[in-house]
Amino acid sequence: MNLLNSCAPVESIQVLRSLRFAWLSIVRQPARACLAILGVAAVGALLFDMLLLSRGLVLSFRDLLDRSGFDVRVLATDAPPFTGPRIADATAVTSSLAALPELEAVLQIRVRDAQIVEAAAEPAGPRARLDRVDFIGADPQVRSMWTIVQGEDLPDRPESAPVLIVNEHLARKYGITPGSELLLRGRCESLSEAVPAVRFRIVGIADFPFDSTTARTVAGTLSWAERLCAGEGQDRAEMLLVRSKPEVGAFTAAAAIRAAHPDLHVVTNDELIERFSRVEFSYFRQISAVLATVTLFFGFLLIAVLLTVSVNQRLGEIAALRALGLSRSRVSAGVLWESVMLVGAGGLLALPLGAALSVWLDAILRTLPGLPADLHFFVFEPRALYLYLLLLTVASLGAAVYPMRIVAVLPIAATLRREVVS
Amino acid sequence: MWFDRGMVTPRVWLLLATVLIAAQAPAGTTVQPPESLPGILLSRQLIESRGLRVGDVVRLSARRGGQGARPFRIEGTYEPTPDPMRFAQPRLEARLHLPDLIALTADPSDPASGDSVTAINIRLQNPSDATAFARDVSTRLPGIVARPTRAPNDRTSTFLVLERFHLAIAIVTVIGSAVFLLALMVMLVDERRATVGILRLIGFTRGRILMQVFAEGALIAVVGAAGGILFAFATQGVFNRFFQWRYDTALTFVRITPEVVWQSLLLSVPLGIAASVMASWTLLRQQLLALIRR
Repeated sequence: MNLLNSCAPVESIQVLRSLRFAWLSIVRQPARACLAILGVAAVGALLFDMLLLSRGLVLSFRDLLDRSGFDVRVLATDAPPFTGPRIADATAVTSSLAALPELEAVLQIRVRDAQIVEAAAEPAGPRARLDRVDFIGADPQVRSMWTIVQGEDLPDRPESAPVLIVNEHLARKYGITPGSELLLRGRCESLSEAVPAVRFRIVGIADFPFDSTTARTVAGTLSWAERLCAGEGQDRAEMLLVRSKPEVGAFTAAAAIRAAHPDLHVVTNDELIERFSRVEFSYFRQISAVLATVTLFFGFLLIAVLLTVSVNQRLGEIAALRALGLSRSRVSAGVLWESVMLVGAGGLLALPLGAALSVWLDAILRTLPGLPADLHFFVFEPRALYLYLLLLTVASLGAAVYPMRIVAVLPIAATLRREVVS
Repeated sequence: MWFDRGMVTPRVWLLLATVLIAAQAPAGTTVQPPESLPGILLSRQLIESRGLRVGDVVRLSARRGGQGARPFRIEGTYEPTPDPMRFAQPRLEARLHLPDLIALTADPSDPASGDSVTAINIRLQNPSDATAFARDVSTRLPGIVARPTRAPNDRTSTFLVLERFHLAIAIVTVIGSAVFLLALMVMLVDERRATVGILRLIGFTRGRILMQVFAEGALIAVVGAAGGILFAFATQGVFNRFFQWRYDTALTFVRITPEVVWQSLLLSVPLGIAASVMASWTLLRQQLLALIRR
């Protein structure tokens, strides 16, 4: 300690002494300290999770969009994809856009409703034959938005025979493997059940990024998507997916598309994310903000109460220390460090607790119907951790303000007299 | 019967994207007296966002460019039924008579488009027959989806999931607050060490002191829980008004029901009592001499 006194700056020594004072106060009441740390950990875990939730959906959704490999979407109107009218004269529009120098690829997406009539291995149950599927028609010459996990992708040459890609859920349910056959009948808007069924050969099993866990999705060529309903779609597509050239970027590509076709609605991935964040995801953003605020206030309040009660119980001891010569700042700093230690220890413990809690909460929310199976609500990003640490720091400092004031203005003589008399 | 969407909703979104406000008829068109024009209702939100009034004439088109626009007279306004699935979306809607909507949106090249609707709502004479009726309709009309309004669907599942999520959050909050409460009670009980020692010295048994602690804890827990519930009642209006303003909706976001009150009491009161008794028991277990520090 003499070496320390002689070598270290005075301020550092005072800080160390205040730290030691705080440490001694904490370890002297281990049960109380443990409970306070556990309480902070529980509250901190919830706070951390709410910070993860605040941008988790947006980050996860962006990842899904980026995985599809396309950065611009073209729709007939500003209605959400697959809910509004279709793009008329889709083939001509696709050709027109593909000629734009800013674009690398344009993929036409047509979605038709179909029904499984016969499958390789039918599942048990009276309704097995009535499974409806979403038939996605796409141009195989353009890189697809799905990822092949077994077998091959759609052939990029004109095929006379109908071939199909199925998603993993359908493959598991019907025991489908590459080479199996599936008999589909189109569920057509204006035609009766007289539409003939078409027997497709499965060439591959794929992961569709926006499929929910129970989605039944198949993909084939554009021509077979139309032939399911005898061409009733009349060259209309739900959406065009566009990939911009890397040197151009999505924003410039979107501007070029708007200039070429002002009657169409063009949206980049960033704009789509911003719209979903503002509308569809707003509930989770709001609730994460509300719960984070309430949690932080709750934690601040409880730490402040704990520290205040603790200080009030030690007034005699603090007055005695002041009488012995400890400075006001040193004793006040001890209270501050006590708050920082309790909140810091609880906050660190809260991180693994929060991670485990986020897995549980994420599992609950991912059971929402219709959500893509790969969409997550709680996604870690460094920003959330920094914000969490900043909020805890502010909370610990704020919670110590009132107890420090009690210590700072404590009348030494009157307090000592009261202790002796009582 | 299940009401999937309003008869106008899917196409009205398209229409609303192209609503053209026309205080006067454009040059070169035949001016019709407003009274002879077909009437429509606009949602309150649309009326306010466009500065329209009842009696105004607007032109609606089913195409983004406004081609084929037709004039309509605003006969009234309505408040859209709050939809919790769409609370974040602005309710810019219009209601037309079905023939007017079909005339406006039918595709001349598609003969069937003039005879198609999105959904048909049915009120049965005996509502309990809904399930059987829906099954019968589905069997007789392949390709038609018939569903009772009370049948579980995605909307029900969505709110069940959200309810589980809120319950999970509540459980974590309760655990955190219970731990803090226990910490506070341990500190407060420690202050009573001398008092408890004196009571034991004059003959009070552990059991009697524990009963006193139990009664005190129960009183504090009940008063605290009641205070919390009153606070919740007081703030639910604030929450509802804020979010109704924020999303321009009549939806109720927070509602304290008797079930919620009982759940809160059943959770908080036993926790408060348990914290008080547990904290006191650590003190009562000690030997008498240790209590009076001899």
